[in-house]
Amino acid sequence: MDFGRSADEQAFADEVRAFLRAHPPATFPADGTDAGYGSGAHSRAFLGALGERGWISLSWPREHGGQARPMAYRLVLLEELAAAGAPFGPLPGCLQVADSIIRHGSETLRREILPRVARGEATFWQGYSEPGAGSDLLALETRARLEGEQWILDGRKIWSSHAGVATYGTVLARTDPASGRQRGLTMLMVSNRLPGMEVRPIRSLTGEVYHYEVFMDSVRVPRDWVMGKPGEGFAQLLHGLDTDRFWGRYYKAPFLQRILALLVEYANTTPRDGGVPAGDASVRRRLAHAATEVAALRALFHRAAWLIERGMPATGPVSAAKLMADELGQRVLSLGMELLGPYGVLRAGSRWARLRGEIEHQYQTSWGHTLAGGTSEIQRTTIAVRALDLPAEPRVRG
Amino acid sequence: MDLALSPAQQLLQQSARTLLPRRCPPERVQALALDARGFDAELWKEIATLGWPGLLIAPQQGGSGGTVGDVVVLAEELGHACVPSPFIGSAVIATTALSAAGGRRAASLLPRLALGERICALAALEESGRLDPDAMGLRVEAPGRLTGRKLFVADAHAATDVIVLGGGAAGPTAVLLPMDRNGIEAHPLESMTGDKLFELSFRDVETRPDDVLGEPGAGFTLLAPAYRLGALARSAEMVGAAQRVLDLCLAHARVRRQGGRPIGGYQAVQHACADMFRDVESARWLVWESAWKLEAARPDAPAAVAAAKVYAADAALRVARRGHQVMGAIGYCEEHPLHLLHKRILAGSLDAGDATLHLDAVARSIGLS
Repeated sequence: MDFGRSADEQAFADEVRAFLRAHPPATFPADGTDAGYGSGAHSRAFLGALGERGWISLSWPREHGGQARPMAYRLVLLEELAAAGAPFGPLPGCLQVADSIIRHGSETLRREILPRVARGEATFWQGYSEPGAGSDLLALETRARLEGEQWILDGRKIWSSHAGVATYGTVLARTDPASGRQRGLTMLMVSNRLPGMEVRPIRSLTGEVYHYEVFMDSVRVPRDWVMGKPGEGFAQLLHGLDTDRFWGRYYKAPFLQRILALLVEYANTTPRDGGVPAGDASVRRRLAHAATEVAALRALFHRAAWLIERGMPATGPVSAAKLMADELGQRVLSLGMELLGPYGVLRAGSRWARLRGEIEHQYQTSWGHTLAGGTSEIQRTTIAVRALDLPAEPRVRG
Repeated sequence: MDLALSPAQQLLQQSARTLLPRRCPPERVQALALDARGFDAELWKEIATLGWPGLLIAPQQGGSGGTVGDVVVLAEELGHACVPSPFIGSAVIATTALSAAGGRRAASLLPRLALGERICALAALEESGRLDPDAMGLRVEAPGRLTGRKLFVADAHAATDVIVLGGGAAGPTAVLLPMDRNGIEAHPLESMTGDKLFELSFRDVETRPDDVLGEPGAGFTLLAPAYRLGALARSAEMVGAAQRVLDLCLAHARVRRQGGRPIGGYQAVQHACADMFRDVESARWLVWESAWKLEAARPDAPAAVAAAKVYAADAALRVARRGHQVMGAIGYCEEHPLHLLHKRILAGSLDAGDATLHLDAVARSIGLS
């Protein structure tokens, strides 16, 4: 076995580090909040800089303008960006949607959207959840009907991250009114600029806007702005969910390593009780304990990556990694709060804030992570039914 | 990144999966646990025929010159089948120390260890229960006489030889003694884990200059890397045992019916199994990553093994506890293998350095001053 980077992969990592040294992350303006997964704030400027270097399309096939580099390079890029705390918020979503377009998109979508993604100009929101369709996503009510060369889209999506600052959304809609549950669904690509779209912010408990509610009132979507075939939206969703969960969390291990490093520095340098917290055996062991868990999380993500790269079934390890990343994240940030004591709650920018108020912010965002992208309960059920071959709980017809 | 077993490792895994469940089913494990002697000499012979005791011994000394990864493969399978054997103590820890020590005595013993004819135990712990090389009560001088005792010596009933670590004028010193040398006695300790642990007493035992392994005073330097590999092997063994607990629970949850359907169809049970899966998988890949670091002799390998040992113990013990909950009362019976696996995991978690020891190493590695 070999868990290391090849010489070429390491050379690429060095290239990314050199870029980050020459262009410190803090110099890029943010236009959307940091949701705490480790991908930093939403910054179009930063995305554009990545695009200029050809790093967004790194792994795309050459015929779509990519460099056809193996998935490992993408992993290196995300790890290095997360370790540096760079604001690459929308990048994982861009990679995910671009992969789908390359695999399942129409020629129009490839032509219209891929070049804009590669330049860092196009970003995406996901239109899955609805007010009445959360963990039971298939209860969704958004509908689209074909009228000539256009879909007429009506419905309402909610909890769509960054929808107000994004350019496009992928919307799961029922296109066959006679069908039920997983049949008759279609994944549509919509532009935020289309008439009939209304995007309203939802202020979250951090005090910032991350989620949006999207209202679609007779929105006319070109007929071939479809991912996969009409009626095959569920397959799109399922394939997407495994990889979403992977690409949406992969950089959480290096992120948590970065947070732990902050806490270690704090423990080493903060005067307390005539010494420093690092001299306290219980503080040492709790930080060391957290480090063992972060290391295990990283190893589990590497396993999931290896399976995905080979096209092998990865649902179990991916859902387990997502579950572990989000529950461990909460524990690490709680440990940070405990270490900071009364300073922990002070907001970033406040005169007495420690560690730039980062623990305060990430502590709050961590509460949402065990809900987003499928709750921890949904992950556990997914592992049990789809990876461990336990019988699904009977559905109650209502 | 390449997370596949090598072809040789696949063969090794396959032969372990063929031999162990057939030759050492749960009833046999249970019988050995209850038996005072508790050593299956016939099974050890079969294991020796496959060359496992010589895995870490160089080919010119009769071994197969295997890798750290090979040890992980075997330890995981031994854990999965819950086989009681001196493999980790003798073929991993003692063998690594002897190979590192070199010298005439080690050179004559290693080929016989490779053949499985001899088994080497390790006597290091004393009353404190902690491996503290600077606070050894037992004094070792060679030439000289050895008087005192060691505790928690595994496999002393099966061993033909023993490495004894004691304090010396030049510092901690290791000597290699045949178990039948006059004045050495093994007294069994009654342990709930089914492991065979002993108090080893030394009464005026002769020690000769050529008993010393390596240099006088270098005993701990010699043993530390051996213990590290032992900690890794114990971690892999715990992963294997935890995987078996999960296997048993899943098989049970699919067929055990309550309320008119399999209990595996209830979310409460499903979620417990999902957590067990997360624990087993994350521990397994952390163990493999640290094995890779150790094999590549990377500077961060010692801390990686320490982290893997702590995490594997935490994760596997969680799996064992959840396993009892999923299995219900049937898993509380002596005849059910669950308790054997739980006890094997517990023994592994305490052997080759407990959490406190390894967490100190991790704490230093993350930069805590």
